[in-house]
Amino acid sequence: MKILVCIKQVPDMESRFRPNGEKTWYDESDLAFRMNEYDEYAVEQAVQLKEQLGGEPEITVLSIGPERTVEAIKKALAMGGDRAVHIRDDRYYQKDPWQIASMIASYAKGEAFDLIFTGMQSQDRGSAQVGVIVAELLGLSCATTLVGFSYDGGTITVKRELEGGIKGVAKLKLPALVTCQLGLNTPRYPTLPNIMKAKKKEIASLTPAELSGEAELTATAAIYPPAKKGGGLVLEGDIGVQVDRLMGILKEKTAVLR
Amino acid sequence: MKALLIGEYRQGKLLDTTYELKAFADRLGADSVMLLVGSDTELPKYAGKLYLADAAKYGEYNPDLHKQLVLQAVEKENPDCIVFVHSSYGWDLAPRVAVALKAGQVSEIVALNEGAYEVNACNAKLRRTVTPRSGRCVLTIQAGAFSPSGEPQGTPQLERLELSGTASAIEFVGYEAAEQKGVDLSKAEVIVSAGRGVGKKDNVPVIAALASALGGELGASRPVVDAGWVDHSHQVGTTGQTVSPKLYVACGISGAIQHLAGMKKADFIVAINKDKDAPIGEIADVLVVADVMQFVPAFTAKCAR
Amino acid sequence: MEATREIYWNVGHGVVLPMYLLTLLAFAACAYGCWKRIEVYRQGKPLNRLDNLRERIMLMATNLFGQIRVLRVAGPGIPHALFFWGFVVLFIGTLLVMAQADVSQPLFGVRILTGGFYKAYSLVLDLAGLAALVTLFGLALRRFVARPEGLKITRDDYLMHGLLSAIIVTGFFAEGVRMAATELRQNPDLARFSPIGLFVAGQFAALDLQSLKELHRLWWWCHFLLVTGFIAAIPWTKFRHLLTTPANYLFVDLRPKGSIATIDLEAEGVEHFGVDKVADLTWKDIFDADACTSCKRCQDRCPAFNTDKPLSPMQVVQQIGETACTAPQADLIETVGRDALWSCTTCRSCQEICPAQVEHVNKVIEMRRNLVLMQGEFPGEEVMVAANNVEVNGNPFGMAYAERGKWSDGLPVRHLSEGEGADILYFVGCYASFDKRNQEVAKSFVKICDAAGVSVGILGKEERCCGEPLRKLGNEYLYQVTAQENIELIKGYGVKKIVTTCPHCLNTLGRDYRDLGLDVEVEHYTVFIDRLLTQGTLALAPHQFDYTYHDSCYLGRYQGIMEQPRNVLHVAGGRINEMQRSGLESFCCGAGGGRILAEEKLGSRINVQRVKMAEATGAPLIVSNCPFCLTMFEDGIKTGDCEGKLAVRDLAEVVAERLATPLEIGKAGPELSMAAVTALAEVAGRIEPAPPEEERLAAAEGVSA
Repeated sequence: MKILVCIKQVPDMESRFRPNGEKTWYDESDLAFRMNEYDEYAVEQAVQLKEQLGGEPEITVLSIGPERTVEAIKKALAMGGDRAVHIRDDRYYQKDPWQIASMIASYAKGEAFDLIFTGMQSQDRGSAQVGVIVAELLGLSCATTLVGFSYDGGTITVKRELEGGIKGVAKLKLPALVTCQLGLNTPRYPTLPNIMKAKKKEIASLTPAELSGEAELTATAAIYPPAKKGGGLVLEGDIGVQVDRLMGILKEKTAVLR
Repeated sequence: MKALLIGEYRQGKLLDTTYELKAFADRLGADSVMLLVGSDTELPKYAGKLYLADAAKYGEYNPDLHKQLVLQAVEKENPDCIVFVHSSYGWDLAPRVAVALKAGQVSEIVALNEGAYEVNACNAKLRRTVTPRSGRCVLTIQAGAFSPSGEPQGTPQLERLELSGTASAIEFVGYEAAEQKGVDLSKAEVIVSAGRGVGKKDNVPVIAALASALGGELGASRPVVDAGWVDHSHQVGTTGQTVSPKLYVACGISGAIQHLAGMKKADFIVAINKDKDAPIGEIADVLVVADVMQFVPAFTAKCAR
Repeated sequence: MEATREIYWNVGHGVVLPMYLLTLLAFAACAYGCWKRIEVYRQGKPLNRLDNLRERIMLMATNLFGQIRVLRVAGPGIPHALFFWGFVVLFIGTLLVMAQADVSQPLFGVRILTGGFYKAYSLVLDLAGLAALVTLFGLALRRFVARPEGLKITRDDYLMHGLLSAIIVTGFFAEGVRMAATELRQNPDLARFSPIGLFVAGQFAALDLQSLKELHRLWWWCHFLLVTGFIAAIPWTKFRHLLTTPANYLFVDLRPKGSIATIDLEAEGVEHFGVDKVADLTWKDIFDADACTSCKRCQDRCPAFNTDKPLSPMQVVQQIGETACTAPQADLIETVGRDALWSCTTCRSCQEICPAQVEHVNKVIEMRRNLVLMQGEFPGEEVMVAANNVEVNGNPFGMAYAERGKWSDGLPVRHLSEGEGADILYFVGCYASFDKRNQEVAKSFVKICDAAGVSVGILGKEERCCGEPLRKLGNEYLYQVTAQENIELIKGYGVKKIVTTCPHCLNTLGRDYRDLGLDVEVEHYTVFIDRLLTQGTLALAPHQFDYTYHDSCYLGRYQGIMEQPRNVLHVAGGRINEMQRSGLESFCCGAGGGRILAEEKLGSRINVQRVKMAEATGAPLIVSNCPFCLTMFEDGIKTGDCEGKLAVRDLAEVVAERLATPLEIGKAGPELSMAAVTALAEVAGRIEPAPPEEERLAAAEGVSA
């Protein structure tokens, strides 16, 4: 079995974000980067499947991004990936989900993967598209937002997370692509021997030009900090007035009270 | 401009989010038609054309077949945009439609901005305006971002959709009810947390009452859990659960670093504290300077209405 | 009449051969037993514990003959020491007999045991025997009658008490019967020098010579056989501590306290880290189990054990010993238990008190290393999250690293990254950088330095967690990665001196980083401030306040810094009420060993227990010197319902409130101190944890007014 896991390196969401000079993406200075959280679930699930199948499957890790992306790739390899493909692209952020997915599909087409794992979305862009588009481009069956996964003889059974904590259970035949959600598993902490081994694993390098020349289908017109949501408002004084004001604020600013 | 709205139907019920699609189309100033894979007994109140496919035949979740149904409607209506709710149904189906049409997709729109679509980036710390570059586009809207202005009205003109076959690579097995093991705060949309400021164990139910009035879960700070006032499964913070609800209400929590680290990802934070200078005030969107035991019951009463 | 006695009286020289043969046999059994034990130790990995041999021998001699470590706990310590000294004297006495009877007299015709010397010899030996017997009786009462909780009774204990008492009693009986026959009437002057023997002799005075002789032979042989039995039994029973405990003094860890073996991560071919099998231990770790006498002093002091957590340092050591003997292939981590391993706060109170100098803490850390590095396990998911946070953002909270220096905005702090030099590098640490409560400590320290004219530099957003909690939790890899980044920075800026407000940073930077190549003077701020005061660079406007002081484990037990902070607080006007457990005997706050990052799910709260001890002193204030302790006590005061009765402040805060203005330094006089006392009495009397900034400033203005 051949497994592909698509991962992205994203900034830690605790950081303070500022638009970049072109106002098309965020400025990378002062940001700490890590593997996209949802992709960690994808890697973990792939490794668990490999363990279940006695180590037979080969796991390829793929990521698109600049030089720093190698750190995330190494982590995925340390968690149990066998080899990696790094599509080196400093301008990755200018590509829309369609272009990113096209690059991945273009690489994967010749590789005949049986199963592809991706995160359900990236934490920075959050479009939740790339996985599904890859599946469509490759003609794979696909399920998103997995919180449960099991494999048995060429068929996978997935639990999708639906709103309100309900889960939808479905079966898919391989080849397939699934996108992973929080709750699917607990990503392992790489052991030291595996960290050391990961340093010696192959990371093939590709350029975007070798893959796909698709034009973008959507474009970022601008990026900016959201209007202050009334931050740091202090309500003092009469309780009744406080209650009314808070009620008004919550109705206006949150989707919770309507 | 014409929008094809894709309604949602689950467990034999039309979902209310369907009406948000119409509200969005209205905001967009677009004409709309709707498609629903549902049933005759659960029709939306909608004054317009409704393409109805039978969920009993095409499944409540079967993206392969639903995609074909949407494409059929697109064929018939030639819409400028196809709109989904950004939900487990919408984000699963929308990109499949987008690829089939080679249309650009804008995900989880939270607002409109002069013809462009606003979406969040980086945990809503940044906002992007996105413009489609394809003639036709696929849009998903954030649930709750476009509320209907009034009660939905109207009776749809039905047009039934059928597919020639129902073969699909995906087999829907069924639903699983939400698990009831302990409290999973990590997925709660609203959390109301009790801190030492609530005074004593007997006051905790007052905080819990607000939590349920807001349809949320009860959280707690470490000292409250340590003191045995609240079970450990409710603890928010680095030594408890890390949470990211839409609304976090901190009642009588001063804001030790362990607690802040566990809840600062919340979209909107309300703190109720006697001390105006409590550290929690630094990250709260609203700080209510009041005695928790006076303010919370009053506010709960207001919420319960 | 000559003051001496005939050696081999009554038993005759004919016994010499069988006696020596039997003795030889006893020693052979003893040697064989030792060899069997050595085989057990040799399952461990090599470790050189014979460097600096002269120092080691001196240490062993003082510890052994001075019984110094045993005497640290007076109750059982004094009887043990008396018994030990008594037994040593008896042993020397026996050697002298041997030397005369079998060496000096037959070969050279020289008699040692005669005259005044013999009188003294008789008296000393009799008294030593009495002392040994009485203390042994006392110890037996303690073990078998009024047994303290946790003290175990094993087969060996019965054997030891029985055998030792029997040896002494039979010795006295043999002596008494001999005296009844040879001294009681013949040489009463000499008999007086053996008071116990004289007493026993009195009981047998009525018997005829023949009966006395028969009885004497009986007692003599009993005594002799018991002694040979004792020699043979040493390695096979708890008697082995006679050899292993002194040997453990010899094999003591001479490195600075808290030293942990730094794993070579670059070593080729090494794929196993930490300890999960006996073979992963060093021989010394196994040896420790034999040096342990189950005195339970460690257990009595263990904060985990005392809060009903499944950890007893004594048990860990013994479990290792048992496994090494009976099931060397068994999984040590399973044997000891994960909960026990994760419960350790590395407070070192076990190791500090251990009369046998057993090294408990590193055993725990080595097993934790196996859990983390080989199995990816942590005490809880929250700790894994914290580790990931350190990896990404350099702090366990997951706060954006770029915000690390933000606390210093507006303060006279220089940023080394901006090319500014400074007198000292203040290594701030994660808590003082990000935790609002602890930021007050950082700000206070800067204020103090400013008042003393010391320029303070920080690494700001470039600083990363020192790695201490990670290392103590077993995550050596992440510790080294993080440490290396700090070391490169510190070296790059050519820093000459580092001051920390965190004892954990202090130990890590000052001791642990040495293995990774950092050799810079690192000082705790309490020592630094003490020196500023002594030198007169810093002046305080003291006013009286009552407090109790908490010796944090890593400042007290690890670094031995206990005087300076107390001195600073004394200068500040503090009147100390010591807790019962202070100094080397201080009780952990519960946050050490990386526990600060973990949930305390088992047993009761360590921090509450410590807060209660502070409350019991009656002082309204507990002064801390460590951000972890401060955090734990703030929580513990709330959880333990001590709010309003007890407040916690860091030493830096206390000092910063009492800074004398330059004006005052010049004219410091009685009226000023009075003014200070009046103006600040309010603050001193306060019991809220941290008076708001304005109030403190107002108080400070009150001083200068």
